[in-house]
Amino acid sequence: MEVTTRLTWNDENHLRKLLGNVSLSLLYKSSVHGGSIEDMVQRCSHQGYTITMTYINENMIVAFVLGNYINLRESSTEPNDSLWFSLQKKNDTTEIETLFLNTAPKIIDKQLVCRLSENDIFIIRPDNKIYLDRMMIKNLKLRFYGHLQFLECEVFRVEGTKYNLDYTKRIMKAREHRNKLLADIRAYKPYADLVSEIRILLVGPVGSGKSSFFNSVKSVFHGHVTGQAIVGSDTTSITEWYRIYSVKDGKNGKSLPFMLCDTMGLDGAEGAGLCMDDIPYILKGCIPDRYQFNPRKPITPEHSTFITSPSLKDRIHCVAYVLDINSIDNLSSKMLAKFKQVHKEVLNCGVAHVALLTKVDDCSEILQDNFLNLSRSMTSQRQVMNVHKMLGVPISSILMVGNYASDLELDPMNDILILSALRQMLRAADDFLEDLPLEETGAIERVLQPCI
Amino acid sequence: MAVTTRLAWLHEKTLQNHFGGKRLSLLYKGSVHGFCSGDLLDRCYNQGPTLTVIYGEHRIIGAYAEKSYQERKAASIILLALQETKISEWELGLCTPERLFCHDNVKYNSTTNFQIELRNRKVIMGSKTTEDLGLVQNCTISIQDCEVFRCEDLLDERKIKGVTELRKSLLSALRTYEPYGSLVPQIRILLLGPVGAGKSSFFNSVRSVFQGHATHQALVGTNRTGISKKYRTYFIRDGKDGQYLPFILCDSLGLGEKEGGLCRDDIFYILNGNIRDRYQFNPMESIKLSHHDYIDSPSLKDRIHCVAFVFDVNSIEHFSSQMIEKIRRLRRELINAGVVHVALLTHVDSMDLITKGDLIEIDRCVPLRSKLEEVQRKLGFALSDISVVSNYSSEWELDPVKDVLILSALRRMLWAADDFLEDLPLEKQVDVFGGVEA
Repeated sequence: MEVTTRLTWNDENHLRKLLGNVSLSLLYKSSVHGGSIEDMVQRCSHQGYTITMTYINENMIVAFVLGNYINLRESSTEPNDSLWFSLQKKNDTTEIETLFLNTAPKIIDKQLVCRLSENDIFIIRPDNKIYLDRMMIKNLKLRFYGHLQFLECEVFRVEGTKYNLDYTKRIMKAREHRNKLLADIRAYKPYADLVSEIRILLVGPVGSGKSSFFNSVKSVFHGHVTGQAIVGSDTTSITEWYRIYSVKDGKNGKSLPFMLCDTMGLDGAEGAGLCMDDIPYILKGCIPDRYQFNPRKPITPEHSTFITSPSLKDRIHCVAYVLDINSIDNLSSKMLAKFKQVHKEVLNCGVAHVALLTKVDDCSEILQDNFLNLSRSMTSQRQVMNVHKMLGVPISSILMVGNYASDLELDPMNDILILSALRQMLRAADDFLEDLPLEETGAIERVLQPCI
Repeated sequence: MAVTTRLAWLHEKTLQNHFGGKRLSLLYKGSVHGFCSGDLLDRCYNQGPTLTVIYGEHRIIGAYAEKSYQERKAASIILLALQETKISEWELGLCTPERLFCHDNVKYNSTTNFQIELRNRKVIMGSKTTEDLGLVQNCTISIQDCEVFRCEDLLDERKIKGVTELRKSLLSALRTYEPYGSLVPQIRILLLGPVGAGKSSFFNSVRSVFQGHATHQALVGTNRTGISKKYRTYFIRDGKDGQYLPFILCDSLGLGEKEGGLCRDDIFYILNGNIRDRYQFNPMESIKLSHHDYIDSPSLKDRIHCVAFVFDVNSIEHFSSQMIEKIRRLRRELINAGVVHVALLTHVDSMDLITKGDLIEIDRCVPLRSKLEEVQRKLGFALSDISVVSNYSSEWELDPVKDVLILSALRRMLWAADDFLEDLPLEKQVDVFGGVEA
């Protein structure tokens, strides 16, 4: 008989992704190798991480991942964690429930038994019967109780570089956290409804990943990697226009409550890159979408598209200094001087600001286990301290993201970084709005006129 | 210790291909599970076709059994020696697994010719065997490690079924696709690339998928002169008498090396929608504004919404510096004009070492990955903007594996077109409805 899994190809791919891009190698299949638990253990011991799948019926699978089948002997006292799944097909969708337990099955009386505080919570019997107790049924959202005949039991080795159970745990939590962040940002409203959308300005050297950050944000909300802002991979910057991008929540979705403003890159050389004199006008909202920058000549109020009396909604509410994390140590003094000049203008206008470090290689290393903060080892890193010192940005306002420009698929860890960065920018913008003098929130034009 | 194979990627791929596109699933590894024939056999009985790989000091030899090892049953064994990417074979004939692995005190005798003594970590071979495998005259090989794999079809019934389902869902997504904001009724995709890259073939392939059988409406030329001299805008029906699909593929003259081929100005006339279907290109000069195929004031629906650069995947390493320069320059001009573009690599099935089984999991394919990086480096495309396909050329019937690649590539082009439409300034979006003169 052929030793091929019962899993459909689609379910296998789904499962592989869920566990963190692993491969599965079939080691044991009850209908071919006989239903004896001993034979199963014989074949599956010392194989590293394994996943054992019991096919209850065509549409329901109960499975668990174990560190090593060697610990199955009753006498073994090694601590063992396990990860449990149920996969249920309903119409065209597959629903997956998971449960982590710090106990694992053992062989008792030729059965595979899992005990939790003296209770049998799970049993596989050699006659293809499975038992799950109420707690398991409830947690895995199954709809049966007691003993049940299953169709088949298969064991796979889980293969992946550096694979372990903690990694799967982390990936799963990451997905949950990402969805929470997505919901938060969708529901976000600017402080006191002073404006309907927060405008975030991206400033930074040529090629630091400003346009890529916009693409990444759009990718997260669209569910696939997109490239609306065309990104240069050559050394020369692509962006010569001022662009105010709004992002939709999915292709036909509503506009999200923020806009990303992409500028021409800063250049160390004089007369190249974004003109310093353009910065105050950008911050005040005088420059319209699609204005073509001229590195040698800043915009003047005489320009045909110059917005003479911008209101609060046209202003920049938060500035993000965008820097490639790999280039921070090599910033030229001229570049630094330009940055300081920008920073001065930003402080003059009292606009909120953060630093955004891009092109981070290993997104999963950066966050604390609960994804709520950057990990301490990261915040004490040389690059972060450098940015802190150079630009005077507080460490809590230094954000990090990987970019999707060189990636084919979305990664939940990077999604979290991108969304967290966005959320911090929105929070900073709220602080700015709350701090505005009352007269500015109402009559911004009159106050602004004299400073231009 | 991790249960992962010692085989280098190239060796594994060579073995996989040697047996006609197999996946190797590791069942036993001596250095992890102990060099004990009993343990090996317990793990490897009844596992379907298996390949045992022995790592000697300087060489890798293997024993392939087409049928499952079963207790005390003789199975037909083929021996092989792997040197770089070359494999030499020798048929050992019938042999029980116990004899092969020297289990239960089955001793070596001259009629066996080949035996794996795990406990003593050595392989004993007859001189004839040694010679036929092209090995140096040395009848014992000491075992560094020994691994047993099950050989699974890379493309078995289960996977074909999965691919067929994927094809179905892609087809329905493309049939019901609507351009962003319904700004235009159909997306126009311009295929651009060197002569013979497979532009017309890609159109034929897309049409084939929706027709349900291979079609060859656009004449395809493989010689250097190329056949498409006319500008063609192809509408595609969903089935023979079906509705028109929401995209139009525009096929042009190939890009020439230096002079000749599609002129730069014509490209921009095409992008703007100035050139009518069936216009006869003149490689020497661009279209005259007075030409009867010149459209004066095209609207948003007439212009190109996405450009797909088409390249033969095998030709990229041979691109002349002029060609690279030409493409990079063109790309830059497109960026300045705000035109979105993606890359499409064709003939992916003819790459070295690639078998059909690899095409269903193309993202995990090592040689392809390096090809994509080459395209990124040389021509400047983002990885996420590159698709690969294997076009229909000589086939009569469809193949779901090819279909999935073709449809995924098309979907990516439509995504790009959506980005383009979303990025249009509002006043240009309105143009369509008002039909304002340009």
